[in-house]
Amino acid sequence: MSTSKAEQYRVDVLVCTCPACTKAGAPEMEQALKSEVGRRNLADEVRVVETGSRGFCSMGPIVIIQPEGILYCQVGAADVPEVVEETLVKGRVVERLTYKEPETHKAVPYYDQIPFYGKQMRVVLRNCGLINPMSIEEYVAVGGYQALAKALTVMTPEEVIAEVKKSGLRGRGGAGFPTGRKWGFARSAPGDVKYIVANGDEGDPGAFMDRSLMEGDPHAILEGMTIGAYAIGAHEGHIYVRDEYPLALRNLNAAIEQAREYGLLGQDILGSGFDFEIKITRGAGAFVCGEETALMASIEGRAGNPRPRPPFPAQSGLWGKPTNINNAKTWANIPLIIDRGADWFSQIGTETSKGTMIFSLVGKVNNTGLVEVPMGITLRELIFDIGGGIQDGKQFKAVQTGGPSGGCIPADLLDLPVDYEHLKDAGSIMGSGGMIVMDEGTCMVDVARYFLDFLKEESCGKCTPCREGIRQMLAILTRITEGEGEMADLAQLETLAHVVQDASLCGLGQTAPNPVLSTLRYFRDEYVAHIEDKKCPAGVCRALIEYTILEDACTGCGLCRRKCPQEAISGEKKKLHVIDQEKCIKCGVCFDVCKFDAVAVR
Amino acid sequence: MVTFTIDRQEVQGEEGQTILEVAQAAGVEIPTLCYHKLLSPYGACRLCVVEVVAGGRPGLQTSCTYPIEEGLEVLTRSPAVVEARRVVLGLMLSRTPNVEAIQDLAREYGITEPPFPTDTPEERCILCGQCVRTCDELVQAHVLNFSERGIERRVGPPFLEKTRLCIGCGACAIMCPTGAIETVLEQDAVYREKPLGPTSAIWVPSLQAVPRVPVIDTDACIRFRQNDRSEGEIADACGACQTLCEAGAVDFTQQDEIIELDVGAIIVATGFEMWDPAKLSQYSYGKSPNIVTGLEFERLSNAGGITGGDILLDNGKKPERVAVIHCVGSRDHNAHEYCSRICCMYSLKQAHLVKDKTGADVYEFYMDMRAFGKGYEEFYERIQEEGVMMVRGRGAEVEVLPDGKLRVKGEDANLGRVVQVDVDMVVLSTAIEAPHDVEQVGAMFGLGRSPDGWFAESHPKLRPVETNTDGVFLAGCAQGPKDVPDTVAHAGAAASMALALLDKGEVTISPATAVVNEELCSACKTCISLCPYTAISFLEDKNVANINEALCKGCGTCVAACPAGAITGRHFTTEQIMAQIEGLFRLPVETRVEEVEA
Repeated sequence: MSTSKAEQYRVDVLVCTCPACTKAGAPEMEQALKSEVGRRNLADEVRVVETGSRGFCSMGPIVIIQPEGILYCQVGAADVPEVVEETLVKGRVVERLTYKEPETHKAVPYYDQIPFYGKQMRVVLRNCGLINPMSIEEYVAVGGYQALAKALTVMTPEEVIAEVKKSGLRGRGGAGFPTGRKWGFARSAPGDVKYIVANGDEGDPGAFMDRSLMEGDPHAILEGMTIGAYAIGAHEGHIYVRDEYPLALRNLNAAIEQAREYGLLGQDILGSGFDFEIKITRGAGAFVCGEETALMASIEGRAGNPRPRPPFPAQSGLWGKPTNINNAKTWANIPLIIDRGADWFSQIGTETSKGTMIFSLVGKVNNTGLVEVPMGITLRELIFDIGGGIQDGKQFKAVQTGGPSGGCIPADLLDLPVDYEHLKDAGSIMGSGGMIVMDEGTCMVDVARYFLDFLKEESCGKCTPCREGIRQMLAILTRITEGEGEMADLAQLETLAHVVQDASLCGLGQTAPNPVLSTLRYFRDEYVAHIEDKKCPAGVCRALIEYTILEDACTGCGLCRRKCPQEAISGEKKKLHVIDQEKCIKCGVCFDVCKFDAVAVR
Repeated sequence: MVTFTIDRQEVQGEEGQTILEVAQAAGVEIPTLCYHKLLSPYGACRLCVVEVVAGGRPGLQTSCTYPIEEGLEVLTRSPAVVEARRVVLGLMLSRTPNVEAIQDLAREYGITEPPFPTDTPEERCILCGQCVRTCDELVQAHVLNFSERGIERRVGPPFLEKTRLCIGCGACAIMCPTGAIETVLEQDAVYREKPLGPTSAIWVPSLQAVPRVPVIDTDACIRFRQNDRSEGEIADACGACQTLCEAGAVDFTQQDEIIELDVGAIIVATGFEMWDPAKLSQYSYGKSPNIVTGLEFERLSNAGGITGGDILLDNGKKPERVAVIHCVGSRDHNAHEYCSRICCMYSLKQAHLVKDKTGADVYEFYMDMRAFGKGYEEFYERIQEEGVMMVRGRGAEVEVLPDGKLRVKGEDANLGRVVQVDVDMVVLSTAIEAPHDVEQVGAMFGLGRSPDGWFAESHPKLRPVETNTDGVFLAGCAQGPKDVPDTVAHAGAAASMALALLDKGEVTISPATAVVNEELCSACKTCISLCPYTAISFLEDKNVANINEALCKGCGTCVAACPAGAITGRHFTTEQIMAQIEGLFRLPVETRVEEVEA
């Protein structure tokens, strides 16, 4: 489709096709939309466009109507006739499908007025949810590949590196190393054969920033990589995509094909004499392959085991050659920096952390989804303004930043500005942008145990501290959550945690103790409660909780008695029911089914 | 040179070296487990961590992998380092609580008990990967690698299945620092003659070897075997012996040297080989490690052998009963019909050694006792007095019993019945025979063989050291079985005859030799292969055959065979023979006819 055709359409209906919206029924809704548009003979005026995620994931399936900028939430196939009739034909807003503010329930029909989007600064994600990712023409139409043209025609490789250095961009994969400096190392490494790599492994459970970019705006990554290859002097690039992202793989492959057709990849790009090819490698289900040396081993066809550094990839990477590896988000920042300038970029963010960061805001917030904000925004703004506060009116307890190896930050640090240094001082990490919000119903000891269990499964097993240390830390935490902990366990836990942190071979082991150390730092009293009182204050750890029925609330309806799988509840009709603690297996079914909130967890 | 500090002392190293290499050279002790100087460093056990406090990547780094840099400052026993090693060793000990090497290391850091619970007390593998890297880099068989990840990580061949790609070299087992790998022979171990038992591919043949330097058996050596696999390209496999040899004495490129000498006399002393008793399956040779040949027993009882001279069974214990069976493969219509001559006496000697070293009961199964030499009969009597039991009857069968004992059956001709005895060890006094390449050697020197396979002497009684080829002599068992005193005498005779020949400076030859007429010779080379005395050679430059008068015995074969009629037998020329025939015809014929008629 060419841009000239776009001019003939009166209305664009953007349908998000990301996996979350797909699961919620977007394909059926889109089908219904297309048939309704056809039935009403509007096919020449109304264009239905499939886009990537716009980030507002808790509200899917999302439909955005341009040029008005109306956003409809949770649109189902049944809603389609009304949308077509009211909005597409008559130009009126269907209020019941618009976003409602949680407190006032006021309708906010226009996309840029929704607070979720209001405080965001969607620059890296600018095209996601706006353009058809399978169309290179749309990418070009919104300004894509201008940066590449500029770099190849009027800038030298050294100038490109200088610009990236000046921007202050730091790697968005988690370590936050200054990107321009890293490119400089690779450029000055001796040798003619060099490689660049994009890390699209995104192993953090629940993280979907890279995924949204790869699905929704794949050309941004390709363009960034091509500029980077030019700067470093590489002619071959590799994108490593985790195999669990079939859409990302499809869209990236299609984008590469199209870029080649247009002379934006391959030999003599844009007639500049610069050659660059990109290949895609699929992952095979290992979190550890997100670590750069393990990732490179995987590309080479070997098992994804990390190796000690130095030597760093810039000296010896893929097949022993100088290699520059950056996260997919980092690459997507590059066209912006070259296009709009390092000065523009460095004005966003804080002194040490420039630019924006994409976070996946999930957990107990009202508005879950993908948000892009300038560095330096506070946790409070993120969670309460953009996230819309805690669900069900509960209390904020902690937020875990950075993924499974991230630390948990408590309520009294809510005004912490989010940047690399502040998060590190607080005992956490930026990671690749995970942000899991927890409320009073979350047990922090259980959180530490949960993430250690994940890391134990994902550890490659090569080095002793990570393989054996995580296993033993998990054993201790499990005993604590089962009520068999002793105070001496806490000292041993800390000793283990520090050695695993200091002596592990790679980042997985080095960051694995973060959940343990940060929860011990900020929530020690919960640990003590588990050990000395044999109680779980949050009501999560099964061995330490008790379900009881509240006398004044119970109506004797008998529903819990009938649902209990262990027949542990007894009681007569209309009389107080009682749970036999001996038989109770703490499954929580009674708690879930009781309509009168008569079951309490302690 | 790169200058940096270790524990605040200045040290120097070459560009490309690691901290560990420089530290070890400087005598600084750093514990290691997954490191080996012959393998690429791995950095997995984390025991060798040191603290980089300035000039490099800060924090704990593995010294085995970290390349040295100018200005680096490294501490090898800082509190952080000691703590890390202590905890790592505690974790390792909890994984493998019964491995002595780990116990010893842990004790150095104050750990006497596994600090964490363990559910794998029999585990010995610490996943150091030495076996993997050995198989990959040294042996280059690429059989071993890691499977699974995390705590499920384990070492093995692909899919943990037995594979024929494993060449059974045992290198992995030798390198394993915790003894977690066992090499298991698929078939019963069979003792071979030199030396007794399996050995590495580079070995000193025996302590009495001259010169006493190791040799490489290229059929067993990994490097040479990998040459075969890599289709003639020189493999870079292993080479551990060369790397480790401090004298730099190992040279894999040595080639066979062919030396050409012009000599006047040759003495063939190519000796004997042991006949393979596995050819007669009733002796069960090869089915038990405790059934040995006489020569293998010699090695066993040799002070330089693998047991230091003790007579031991394969389980390391002394035998309590031993049987010696004579004439295995000798005096046998199914093997060699001749008597091997040496076995009776050495069997008696071996019986004496067994008695002396172990006190075991010895049974000698013999047919006839050949004690023909000086003092031999007296020795035989002495052995009988020592209590060795003589059973006059060939040991017919050796059966391997399920408990490992050996049942020897035979006929006791003196008693007139079949007897059997269960023993721990059987020594088969095996026949000796001409070496396997006797035919090729014989053809080379123009030597014939007697019916028993040994090289043929000129005359069995009167010329024991000469052969039908002049100038070629025989010494020792090449001519037939004989023991040491007889060999010495025989060899002395051969040497004297050779010396006498050379000393004379000239040879007397019969004039009745053949000669080639060069103008008639058509270079068909028929005569050359026919000459039984290898007396004819081919002159390339003249393109004709040439007969060596010194070697030619005048047999006339070539004369008759030459298709061009180019060879003449001197004193047997056609003219001379015709003249003799005519002479016969000139005798008075009538007289002769009349005599017949009458």
